[in-house]
Amino acid sequence: MSAPPSRTRAQVLAPSPASEPVPASPTPSVPADGGSGTTRTYEKRPFLLDFFPLETAKDTRLSRFFDRLREGHLSTTRCAKDGELLWPPRTACPKCHGEALEWVDLPETGRIYAFSAVLAGAPLGMEDQVPFAVGLVDLEGVPLRLFGRIEGRPWNQLSVGQTVRVESFDIGDGRFFYRFRAPT
Amino acid sequence: MSARGVALVGGTTIPWGVRSATWPELAQEIGAALFRAVPELRTEDVDSLFLGAAEPERFAFQSHVAPLAAEQMGLRPTRILQRTELACASGQSAIRSAYAAIAAGLSDVAVAVGIEKMNLPSMAEANTAMGCALDRPWDGPHGATAPPFFAMVAQRHMLEYGTTEEQMAAVSEKNHRFANTNPHAHFHEKKFPRDKLLRLPMVAPPLRLGDCSSMTDGAAAVVLAGEEFVRRYTDTPVWVRGTGQYSDFHNLANAGSLTDWVGLKHASREALGRAKIAPKDLDFAEVHDCFTISEIIEYESIGLCPPGEGGKFATDGRAEIGGDLVVNPRGGLLGCGHPLGATGIGQAVEVYQQCAHRVPAERQVPDPEWALVHNLSGSANVHSVMVYQGGGTA
Ligand SMILES: [Zn+2]
Repeated sequence: MSAPPSRTRAQVLAPSPASEPVPASPTPSVPADGGSGTTRTYEKRPFLLDFFPLETAKDTRLSRFFDRLREGHLSTTRCAKDGELLWPPRTACPKCHGEALEWVDLPETGRIYAFSAVLAGAPLGMEDQVPFAVGLVDLEGVPLRLFGRIEGRPWNQLSVGQTVRVESFDIGDGRFFYRFRAPT
Repeated sequence: MSARGVALVGGTTIPWGVRSATWPELAQEIGAALFRAVPELRTEDVDSLFLGAAEPERFAFQSHVAPLAAEQMGLRPTRILQRTELACASGQSAIRSAYAAIAAGLSDVAVAVGIEKMNLPSMAEANTAMGCALDRPWDGPHGATAPPFFAMVAQRHMLEYGTTEEQMAAVSEKNHRFANTNPHAHFHEKKFPRDKLLRLPMVAPPLRLGDCSSMTDGAAAVVLAGEEFVRRYTDTPVWVRGTGQYSDFHNLANAGSLTDWVGLKHASREALGRAKIAPKDLDFAEVHDCFTISEIIEYESIGLCPPGEGGKFATDGRAEIGGDLVVNPRGGLLGCGHPLGATGIGQAVEVYQQCAHRVPAERQVPDPEWALVHNLSGSANVHSVMVYQGGGTA
C-alpha cells in the first residue's frame, strides 16, 4: 500500500472492551452528554430494526471510532506490523492476523467513483428520506473507496469524479455516523 | 479415483409470486408437489434434506427451519438435515451440499428444497431484511440495498464500455418473454416490450423497475441420487459434472472493480474445468439476472463474449434460442421473481426439465446436453457455479 498521509495521527487501539467506563445505570432516552463520550447512552430501539451500530465501549471494541466521529473526524484502523490500512475498522488484521492495530484519521475529502440514488424501496426509518443519493468515494491520498450517503445536492446534479467532503453527524438519538457532502 | 456419480432425478416448483400463504404453507405445498412430480419417490427413500433459506428469521420470524421444513414436507431424514444460507445463492448451496454428501457416500437419496416468503405487510420491513445481506453495521446505515449497489455497477459499465439502457432492456424483454411460457413465473401473464421497459419508473438510476428482480414468495425442490439409485426414479438423469465457488470481499469498500467480476471468472473456470468443457460447449445457462446489468456482466465473465460486449451479446440475440446458447429460458429472476432460497433450486428444476424435454416448445432448448447454473449473492461478492450434463449420458 502507499504511505499514509503525513497528517494522520495514530493511537494504539485499546485491547480491552473495558477501557471506556460503562454508564452505571443505563436508562432509556437519556440524551447524549455532548462530547466526552464517557457517560453517553442513547434511546433504546428494537435492535433488529435499527441499522445504526451500538457505539459505546459497553457494546463494541471499536468505540474509539465513534468517539472520534463525535469530534468530527473519520478514522480507521491500520495494522501496526504490516501497515495495512483496513476498512471497516477492525480488531484483528486479516492479512497477518495480528491484533496490534492502531487508529489513524482518514482524509476529509474524496472523489466520487460511482453513485446512484434510492428512489423507492427504502428500509424502515429511511422512507421519509427518499430520494437520497449514495456513492462510492475514493478518499484523497489513501487506497480506500468508501460507500456512503451523499448529501448536499440532488442525485441528478452529482457526477463521477466530483469532489465531496466527509462529515460526521448526530443521527438524532445521540449516536454519530458519517456521510459525504457535495459542495452546493 | 473418481467420486461417485450424482444426478438430479426430478424436481418441481410451485407458483411463485405474491402468495397468500405463510412460510410453512409454502413448505407443505412444495412437499406435495414434489411427491406428485416424482411418483417413484417414497418418503423413506429420502435419507437427507438440505434446505436453502436465506432470511426466514427476518421474513417469517422463524429459525431452526430445517426440521420445520421436514415436518411440513412429510420427511424424516435419518442422515443429514441441514439448512444452507448464502443469501441469494442459498438454494444452490443446498444442492452443492447434497451433491457433496452423496458423492462422499454419506447420503444416497437427498432432497434439496428452497423456500422463501418475502412479501410482508410492510415493504419497508422487507427492504430492511434485504439490507441485512450486505455489511449491515457499516453499509446498512447509509441505506445500502441491492438496487443502488447494482445501479453503480451499471453506471460504471456504461462509463467504461458504453453499455446502454436499451441493451439492459433487451435482457429484461428476453427473460420476461421466456417467463410468459412458464406458468409458475411471478410475471407469467405480464408483457414487457422494450419500449414499455424504457418508460418504467427509475428505482435506482440508471436502473428502472424492469431492470430489477422482485420480492417474490416461492419454493422449489429437486431430488438428487447416487449413481446406483438414479434409475429408480428417472430415465433422464442430469449429472452434476462440476462446481465452483469464489468469494473475495464483503464490505462494499473492498469490491475493487465493479465491472470485472473476478469471482465469477474463477468459479466458472473451476466448474467448467471439472466438467472438462469450455464455455462454447454449453447448450444453455441459467444465470443470476437479479438485475439486467448482472446478466450482461455474466456473459462476459463466464467467457461467452469479451469484456464490454455483454450488452451487444443481448441485442444481437446471441442468448436466444438459435443463438450461441440459450440464457435463462425459465424466465430468469427478472421474469420468475427471486425468492432468495428457492431461486437456485428453481434454476436446477429448469435444467432437469429442459433435458427431459418437458418444457413448452417456445422455450425448449434444442437437444440440450450441457448446462451451467450461476448464482451470485449479496453485492456480487460471492459467485457459485454448477455444470450439469443431461442428454441421456450414463
Ligand atoms: Zn497485519
